[in-house]
This record gives sequence, structure tokens and C-alpha cells, in this order.
Amino acid sequence: METLALSLGVALPWVLGFAALASIGWPRAEPAGTALALRIGFGYLVGAVLITMWMRGLSMLGIAFGWMSIGIPLIAVAAGLLFYALRSQRLSLVDTRRALVSAVSPTLPSTQRIVWIALLAWLALRFGLLAAEVAWRPLYPWDAWIQWATKARVWYELGRIVPFVRGDEWLAGAGGAYFDASPNYPATVPLLQVWTCVALGRWDDSAMNWPWLAMLVSLTVAVYGVLRGEGVAPLIALLGAYFIASLPLLDVHVALAGYADLPMAAVYTLAALATYRWCLRRDAADGVVALFLALACPLIKNPGWIWALTLVPGVVIALMPRRGVRVVVIGFGLTALIALLLARTEPVVQGYHLHLEFAAGWAQLIKAYFLMGNWNLLFYGVIVVFALGARRLLERPLVALAAIATAGLGFLFFVFAFTQAGYWLADLTTANRATLHLAPLLVTLAVLTWHRLALRTGSLGEGSAAARTV
Amino acid sequence: MVAWCLLATSIALCVIGYLALTVQGAWFTGARTLYVTPRDLTVTRGSAQLREDGLVLLAPDATGTTLVSLTTSLRSSDYPVIAWETRGVPDYVEAALLWQSDYQPGRVFNRRLEVEAGRIQPFSLERDPNWGGRITGLALGIKGAYAEPIVVRGAAAKTMSAREIIGERIAEWFRFEPWNGASINTIIGGADVQDLPMAFTFAVIVAIAALMYSVLARWRPQWVGTSGAIVVGIMFVIAWLALDGRWQWNLARQVALTAEQYAGKSWHERHAAAEDHAVFAFIEKVRAKLPPAPARVFMVADEHYYRDRGAYHLYPHNVFFDPWSNTMPPASAVRPGDFVVVYQRKGVQYDAAAKRLRWEGGPPVAAELIFAESGGALFRIL
Repeated sequence: METLALSLGVALPWVLGFAALASIGWPRAEPAGTALALRIGFGYLVGAVLITMWMRGLSMLGIAFGWMSIGIPLIAVAAGLLFYALRSQRLSLVDTRRALVSAVSPTLPSTQRIVWIALLAWLALRFGLLAAEVAWRPLYPWDAWIQWATKARVWYELGRIVPFVRGDEWLAGAGGAYFDASPNYPATVPLLQVWTCVALGRWDDSAMNWPWLAMLVSLTVAVYGVLRGEGVAPLIALLGAYFIASLPLLDVHVALAGYADLPMAAVYTLAALATYRWCLRRDAADGVVALFLALACPLIKNPGWIWALTLVPGVVIALMPRRGVRVVVIGFGLTALIALLLARTEPVVQGYHLHLEFAAGWAQLIKAYFLMGNWNLLFYGVIVVFALGARRLLERPLVALAAIATAGLGFLFFVFAFTQAGYWLADLTTANRATLHLAPLLVTLAVLTWHRLALRTGSLGEGSAAARTV
Repeated sequence: MVAWCLLATSIALCVIGYLALTVQGAWFTGARTLYVTPRDLTVTRGSAQLREDGLVLLAPDATGTTLVSLTTSLRSSDYPVIAWETRGVPDYVEAALLWQSDYQPGRVFNRRLEVEAGRIQPFSLERDPNWGGRITGLALGIKGAYAEPIVVRGAAAKTMSAREIIGERIAEWFRFEPWNGASINTIIGGADVQDLPMAFTFAVIVAIAALMYSVLARWRPQWVGTSGAIVVGIMFVIAWLALDGRWQWNLARQVALTAEQYAGKSWHERHAAAEDHAVFAFIEKVRAKLPPAPARVFMVADEHYYRDRGAYHLYPHNVFFDPWSNTMPPASAVRPGDFVVVYQRKGVQYDAAAKRLRWEGGPPVAAELIFAESGGALFRIL
């Protein structure tokens, strides 16, 4: 019974998001397989954000959290949206079934078919192992239980959101307010944990972390869908998705769930990819999804608003096809100049002391990226592919996504070089986790760049033909 | 096929190149590495204690010297490298390798050893003129005082043959890396210290294979075809899969351990089975004495971990704790009806007769002892 409740708890955001996307007809004009992958992939995160927004609304209205206030109404909403999508022919059950069958048994040349099935089996094994860790391990990593699950526990037990305040306010007697290590952190991640416990019917600090596995699966499927949408052959798209699912640090954040870095990475990546789709297609539905996910970024972590801002260069390039690149380059230059000027005055922004620190343990960063086991071969691959495909990155269709990734890398550089986070490079507490937010996007862009390079040399002629059959 | 052939060639080149740089003495030898356990070691100067994690050096003698020795009988020509496995060696002490041989039995030779990140580095004696004949005794000498104990986990006399070097590198790559407090921030990918990290090695192998491909594609395109992106891509994927195979294997081993410790248990039982079960059990007893949530509770402990973890287990009570430093709340912030949980913290005094609780930096407050056990107590402010 508990397994069923838990399954429903994980499935509800997924179905809700899927139904919401299908009801707005997103994505438009894609083959059934691609559309299904995109809806499943984006669906979970869209639904997860929606469910936490609903919970915020309930709390504002003074309605206690429970199946009756969260589960039943949102099941009804999801059912209604699905019904509407079917009625309006934005969703086809026949196409969905066909796409699922072809995912398991694709029409590919025999060697590719074997690799396809082997990769799916390998991924299934990975997700299974991570599921075992999620299911059995009590809440483990430090920040998870001093700043995230603290809120989840209180809100679950009280059935509503109550404020968390700074230590001095608490000591001064803030009536009814609580305290933890980071009282100003956003509510989305703890609310997702609360919902899982509500679905389960009791507090359980292992079971509440199932959403982390769902996020990794959804991110993997979403990237597959995006790559397919850009004409990447099925096997290459699956490999691209596998690269993301197999990034060791990403897997660790599922196995030792409870930090907000994986949710941040997933929401930001999907926001960037939806923005990229909008830049290429100018489809309103893509724009709605992109805007929704971009606005969700600050709801996950406080730096989320900066991650959301890194999407702007892509939009500028889309809106100004002729001068966009020049404007963005000037914008990057001005931003760097402002950062340098700010660093001289050593201001404090959001608790971070801005100060240029060029000796901020860069050797440790290189060790983390290239020598340790955090990222497999990600940064070697990214550097080579971006170097070889530099020209492709400055042309349509990749330029918008490249501008977003550059802004993201710029933000990371800023954090490491201009704030006290630079000192944290020395003991590697922050470098990898900050990089985690951008890593899935870098993988996707690298695969797309490689795809463009391969298209140029004509290597993918046969693969593309196979692609059209799946 | 082209990708496989190029990768195989590149692997062969890399292995040969690496061995050419690292093998000392004979490439192939019948001798095997000799490992010495802490039990085989004798402390002739200074004080030490044999524990599960190794021989723990507690303090040097009056002259500031610590000497750990062992009797050996090894042929110097077979063993060009001696490696002490140590932890916690401070940078400011001087470490030296000492030895005696049957070549010049009356003399003790010594060479200074390098210390890096708390570990004594392996030392090569291949070109040392005094490393000759049969070695009859080895010793590790440490000159200088040290505040924290030094752990000697053993020593090894290494052949540095091709087989041993390859075996060591592979063993480093596949050393099990269980979860620890730092795992959420960084994954090492095998042994804590690696002479040749696996990711770097595979990147070099792919780079050389790609270079070979580009040369062949330029001069012998009929051999390798022109699908450069595909061939190099396949090589990259193979290398990625190899690294991922190691990671999946490590994960599977971790899951087996996790299952052994936690599978089939309830949420409550899992915490009771965790490494920090003592603090959980204590807080459970405290919770049983507290009124229904939310009571205002102050959690204090000397250890950062216990303070924060104890607070976590106290929610949904309205807990206050210092997440960053070991401080006590100001006495002025404590009100009648509040609770104070003290866990392994020095400096908190309770006068049972006067019912007064006192800690540094403030006047005593009226309080009642609700519950106490070794190392921990719960007080209610009156």
C-alpha cells in the first residue's frame, strides 16, 4: 500500500506536467516519439513546480496539506487537462503507444539496435542502483539536513508553510517562526519533500527523496527529446542523454539526495533548452515553457535568478538576428568590466563578498574537472568539441544556445574568481556543485556541436536516414 | 573496427611509454612486492600504540626522535623502491629512511623522505650506491614533535617491475570509494592518492588515437575512411563507457553495503543503524520527554556534527542551534518554558540543589533537569 502511495506521489507531478504540456500543444510539429520524450522529460519538472505552487497557495489560504487538498484536486486537474488534450487532438494515445514500442524496439540497423538496447539496459541498471540508495539510505549529506529537510519536516508536521527567520530574529522572539542554517532559501525543494511524505502518509527522510531520481530520469529523457528534435540520430541522442545520466557527480546527488543542486541543474537545463527551441522555432508554446522554467529557477535556489538571466543572451540573438551576436559580445564585455569595477570596491551581494582573487585555487579546479572522477571525460570532450566546432557555435542554429552556455560559464568564472567561493575551491566544497548546474547543458551543446561537425563531413548520412524511422 | 584498432594501438603505446618512464630496475622479475603490516613493526624510540587502523605514533622520545624499524632479508637489486604507508605526517617534521645491509654491516644509511598531504612519499634507491647487497633492516625515522598522532599503516618494498606498476595503477583505479561526508562535493574516482588518474589516462589514450587517425586520414585515407567525427566519437564513447563501468561497479558495491546496513528497516530503524546512532538514540529519549511540538528548544554540543544533527532530529520542535560555531545562546534569549538540550558539551554546569543552569558568558538561569544520561541532558527553563 505504501509503495502504491509513494508511486502515486511521484507520478502525480509527472502526469500533471505531462498533461499541462499536452494541453498547450507542446511541442508542436514533432514526430510522435520526440514529442513523447519531450513531454515526459519536461513533464516531471513542470509538474513538480506546479505542485509546489499549489501548496504555496494552500498555505496562503490556510488549508492544511493532505491528499484531499493536494492529491485529489491535482489528479482532477491532470485528468481534465489530459481529456482536453485528447479531445483537441493535441495528444494521441495511438501515437503514444507506438512511440513507446519503438523506444524499446527501435527500427535501426542491427548493430545500432544492439547498442541501443544495451544502453537502455545499462541506464536501467544505473537508475536501479540509485533507486536502492534513495530507498534505503537515511538522509545523509550535511546541507540536506541543516537547511532543506529542516523546513520539510516542520511544514509536513504542521501541514502548512511557516516562516524561517535569521538567528538574531529568532532569538529576539519572532513569534512562531523557525530557524535553520539557511532560513532565506526558497521553499520549492522542501515542499516537494513534503508532498512525497504527504503522499506516503508519514514522515520518512529516505522516501521523501524519490523526486531526485525522478528528476534525473526526466532530465535524461528530456535531453534525448531535445536532441531528437534537432535532428540528431536516435542512437546519438540516446548517447547524449546517457552522458548526462552517467555523470558521476549528478548520480551522487541522486544517491545522496537532499541538496537543491540537482533540481537547479535540471530546471535550468530544461529552461535553457526550451529557450533554445523557442529561439529556433519562435513557437509560442516553446516560449511559455521556457518562460515558466526560467521563472522557476529562483524558486529552486537563490542564485537561480542569475541562472535565469543567463538565458537572456540567447533571446537577444533570436530577437536580433543581424546584430544579436555583436550586442551579446558587447554585453559580456560590459558585464566583465562592471564585475572588475565592483571587485575593486569589495561590496557584499547576497552575502557574497565580491573581490577579485585570481589565485583562487585554480589548480584544484583543474584537478576536479580533469583528474578526479567527478565528470568522467566531460571537460576533455567539451573543450575539444567546442574548439573544433567554434565556427558552428557562432552560426545558426547553435549560436543562441552557445551564448546561453557562455553566459553560464561566465557566471561560474565570476563566482570562482570574484567571490569568497574562490576560497572554497581549495577544499572542493563548492566548485563541483556549482558546475553541476551547468554540466547537463554543456553536454547537450557538445553533442549538438559534434552533430553539426559530423553533418559537415557527411558522416551521418546513413544515421539520419535511420533517424527518420524512429 | 578502425576505432577499436586505433584505441588498442594507443593503449599499447601509452602503456609502453608510461612503463619506460616509471619502471626502475628490471621490467620483468620473479620477485614480488613485499608488504609489511603494522604488526611486523617495532617502535625503538618514541611511544606508539598498535590499533586497528595501524601503528599509531603518539609522541617522540626526549630527543624528539621517533624510530619505527623492522628486520628484513631482501635483495636490494630486486627492490629499488621503499614506500611507507602513513597518514597525518605534519609538514614540519623531518622524515628519513634508514637501512642496514650485509654489504657494510656496521653502517646505518639514511635518506631524507618527502612528505606530501600528510603522507610520506615512496623513495627510489635504484641509483643509491649504498643500496647494495642484502638489506637486513629498515627503519622510518621522524625528527621533531607532532601534535596529532601519526598513523603508520605498513610499508612495502617494491620491485617497480612492469607487472607491479600496471597492477598498482589498476588497483588504484578500482579501489572502492565508499560514501563519506565529502562525496556530495567531490568524487575521487578510486584511491585517495593516484599516480595516474584514470580519467586523465583515458583522455590521453583517446587523444593519441585521434591523432593517429588524423595522420592516417591525411596520408592513408583508404585505411581508415573519412568519417572522422564518427571514428573519434566512437573512441570517446568507449573511453567514457570504461570510466562509467568503474563508476557503476563502485556504485554497485556501495549499494551492497547500504543494503546490508539499512535494507528492510523502517525510517526509525535506519537511523538507529546509522553511524551516528548514538546521537539519534539520545535525541529520541529527549523527544519522549518534551511536550508536543512545537516547543522552543536550544541544542548545544561541542562537535559541529552533533549540534547540527541533534537539531535536525529535534524538528518539528522549534529548534535553535548555531550551525557554524560552538556557541551558547545568550542567557537573555532563554525564556521560562524553553528547553535546553546539552550533548557532549563542556562548560555547561548545573547546580541541582539551587536548580541553576550556567554556561560561559552569562548569569545562571533557573532550570530543572528533566533527563540526563552519560554525556547529555535535557533542561527546562523555569
